[in-house]
Amino acid sequence: MRRSGWLAAAAIAGYVFLYAPLAIVVAYSFNDSSMNAQWVGFTLDWYRKLFRNADMLTAARNSLVIGLVASAVSTVLGTMAGYAIYRYRLRLLPLLVLAPIAIPEILMGVSLLLFFVMINLTLGMLSITLAHIAFCIGFVAIVVRARLAGLDESLVEAARDLGATPWQAFKLVTLPLIMPGVVAGALMAFTLSIDDFVITFFTAGPDSRTLPLAIYTMVKITVTPEVNAVSTLLMLLTLVLIVVASKLSPGAMRGR
Amino acid sequence: MQSGRFHKWVISGPPLAYLLIFFAIPTLIMVVASFRQPGPYGGLAPLLSGAQGSAGVALTAENYARFFTNFLYTELFLKSLWYALITTAGCLLLAYPLALLIARSPKSQRDLLVLLVILPFWSNFLIRVYAWIIILGPQSVFVGAFNWSIGLFGLGPVRLLYTPAAVVIGLIYVHLPFMVLPLYANLEKHDPALLDAAQDLGAGAWQRFWRVTFPLSLPGVYAGAALVFIPAFGIFAIPDLLGGTGGAMIGNIIKQQFLDSRDWPFGSVLSIVLTVVAIGLAGVAAWFARRVRQ
Amino acid sequence: MNATKLLLVLGAVLALGACAKKEDVLSLYNWNQYIAPETVERFEKACGCKVQQSFYSDNSELMAKITGGAKGYDVLVPTSNYVSDLAKGGYLRPIDKAKVANLKNIMPAYLNTEFDQGNQYSVPYAYTITMLGYNDEKIKELGIPVDSWALIFDPKILEKLKGRVTVLDSPDELTAAALLYLGYSANERDPAKLEQAKQVILKAKPYWAAFKASGYIELLAAGDIWVAHGYSNDIYGADLGAQQAKKSFRIKHAMPKEGAVLALDAMVIAKDAPHPELAHKFVDFMLEGQNSADLTNMLGSGNPNSAAMAFIKPEIKSMAAVFPDAETAKKLEMLKPMDADQRRQLNQLWTEIKAG
Repeated sequence: MRRSGWLAAAAIAGYVFLYAPLAIVVAYSFNDSSMNAQWVGFTLDWYRKLFRNADMLTAARNSLVIGLVASAVSTVLGTMAGYAIYRYRLRLLPLLVLAPIAIPEILMGVSLLLFFVMINLTLGMLSITLAHIAFCIGFVAIVVRARLAGLDESLVEAARDLGATPWQAFKLVTLPLIMPGVVAGALMAFTLSIDDFVITFFTAGPDSRTLPLAIYTMVKITVTPEVNAVSTLLMLLTLVLIVVASKLSPGAMRGR
Repeated sequence: MQSGRFHKWVISGPPLAYLLIFFAIPTLIMVVASFRQPGPYGGLAPLLSGAQGSAGVALTAENYARFFTNFLYTELFLKSLWYALITTAGCLLLAYPLALLIARSPKSQRDLLVLLVILPFWSNFLIRVYAWIIILGPQSVFVGAFNWSIGLFGLGPVRLLYTPAAVVIGLIYVHLPFMVLPLYANLEKHDPALLDAAQDLGAGAWQRFWRVTFPLSLPGVYAGAALVFIPAFGIFAIPDLLGGTGGAMIGNIIKQQFLDSRDWPFGSVLSIVLTVVAIGLAGVAAWFARRVRQ
Repeated sequence: MNATKLLLVLGAVLALGACAKKEDVLSLYNWNQYIAPETVERFEKACGCKVQQSFYSDNSELMAKITGGAKGYDVLVPTSNYVSDLAKGGYLRPIDKAKVANLKNIMPAYLNTEFDQGNQYSVPYAYTITMLGYNDEKIKELGIPVDSWALIFDPKILEKLKGRVTVLDSPDELTAAALLYLGYSANERDPAKLEQAKQVILKAKPYWAAFKASGYIELLAAGDIWVAHGYSNDIYGADLGAQQAKKSFRIKHAMPKEGAVLALDAMVIAKDAPHPELAHKFVDFMLEGQNSADLTNMLGSGNPNSAAMAFIKPEIKSMAAVFPDAETAKKLEMLKPMDADQRRQLNQLWTEIKAG
């Protein structure tokens, strides 16, 4: 397909904008200084330190686990919500879906802390995951809903006329058509989850450190390049996971 | 054949139940909190003042009164609103070409291109912003080049860091994927045949975009706008890190209530007003969009 | 779908790995990087247990979490004015002096403060002084005096420093500095005097680069900022950073003659601490000379422990900013806790400062 030069140039500008800070993040993970301020020299020390830092690695693993679970659950629930809003005239659900996006994180964090204390739920990985799901559902629902707009209902009707049950019609016709929206929502949910600080801070227990919790509080003294190192590695790891997953189920991003 | 009420509940039930339990109820706690007093050392004062036999519920509207009688807070809201609008517009301008390019790329490349958009956001937020501090700092190469080039027009050297400009750049940056992904999800399903038909009818490239692509992409645009505008309205981290002394947004003041000032009731008031305004604006925009489509 | 199955299996495997092994665990809720890693290791060996660390970056975060009802922490490290609030709020467990014999190592000046009479609930840990850090090269170039709070409040001086000064993003600390500059006590609560302090701040605000509670260390070390209102140990850290980066300048401490705020951090034990025995052991351990000195050697923070003196690096021991002489000590004030009305008043003031 012919692509206009303008479009390519504008898009490349977009990618440069996205990657300029990232280039610095990765570059500074090799910086021979304990501060994220100026380039001093090259060193692999921070990576070495990272691999000996069990706490940081545990935090990274916790973030990944919570991210995967939270994004999986919120994608399922969010897709259902997006579809329901599109299909039926609902009044409460659209509001409940939009509100967590609008509510300031700190309010949501405090409210969930009070709530969990009220119902006597021990703060820990579970409480964090439950909190993450709550604020991710909305993002998924909105993207799926947007994708559903303009869906060709005749295809679904045709399937039903051919004898498919509603579930089969959804699974075999609708779902593949909205798959890019679902995957986009899942990616957003995962991103939101592994980078969340405020809500996680309030709902975390003593034994559940996530990467943002470990990193943000370093801000008080100094954010060492070890953070750059762990971020770079986490990014690479997630990329590998996704590439592997997409090889196993090709076409997920593209819809049909 | 209709999917009856049964299907409606099966599909909307689980998300509804989840959000009722883990969102509506906790938020309700805070709505009630907005009518309570702060505790003597923090947190909230007891709800039931059962001292000396008088069983009363200690609720008051004074927190709301404080908000409405002090124009300062409204000013902050308006300022944040303005920032959020600029951010949304900026994101749209940057995200649209990206999403369009990816949607029109050969199928084999699309996965990778989308992943490349979101990959930077799997690093940590804080160090990405620290990277911007380096890029926009007084000693950075970029700023030097920028000042040199505007110097050619006789404009004085500008400081980029700790200015509203830095805040806007930061806001656009962190919200960009949330505009790209919904746009892409929508643009991806556009039928190229429509564009070919338009071209056959003599439409130029810009006309094809403005008359065919853009209108079809509006649901994606609204979704992206919602996912950028609403969170940007209440954010505090970017103004904290990149903003100068005049950079405080309403999100910063809300954070202040919950942390430094230990005034959770007032923080709840500000948060509730923020939420209502944000959702209200989204509702107005959606209503407006429906009108325009007709 | 294969991808889903793979992700689920992966998630399960990772989650299984996340299940903690049951052993004695001390839950320490502390400022980030506010304990030396070697000290933690030493304690873990000594007690045959594990130390689980959680972090906050401000007292207010600790308060929000604890007053919100979070449980499961054993030892917390709040600053003194928060100690009294936590104690009065019933969140702390009294310390069993019998189990903390090393308390005798603490210098008498830091014991029995008004925040915790008789040290019922808290044991001093470390202290910092809020002062000014500056780039010695730039300041010499500009010929500015550094002995007063005027360095960040006087518009005539700020003219030369425009855009190169940061101040703490803390209502308590910044108003305290302004009050000291005006000649009042840092704990002044009289609305008229607070209003004066606000005016001082608003006049100086246009010249400041930003409110920075943290992150000014990097800025000072890089030379982007020339003067910072900050904590003594952070300023020390900035100097180390500048030396590491082989800069031509050093970051020096400036103790204003009008006085400064002393922040004494203390170890406390949570009321519902799951491992009170272990908590007491830890507190006692941290009162030993070497263990207490580790932190000072790492951060340049003040040390109230006389037994630690033998283990502290000489270059730090000689720093007046870290171990002030008797003259200077008289001018130091600790911030007192406020009641709800005073907090509300300061809150309003701070909003006007931030938004004005």
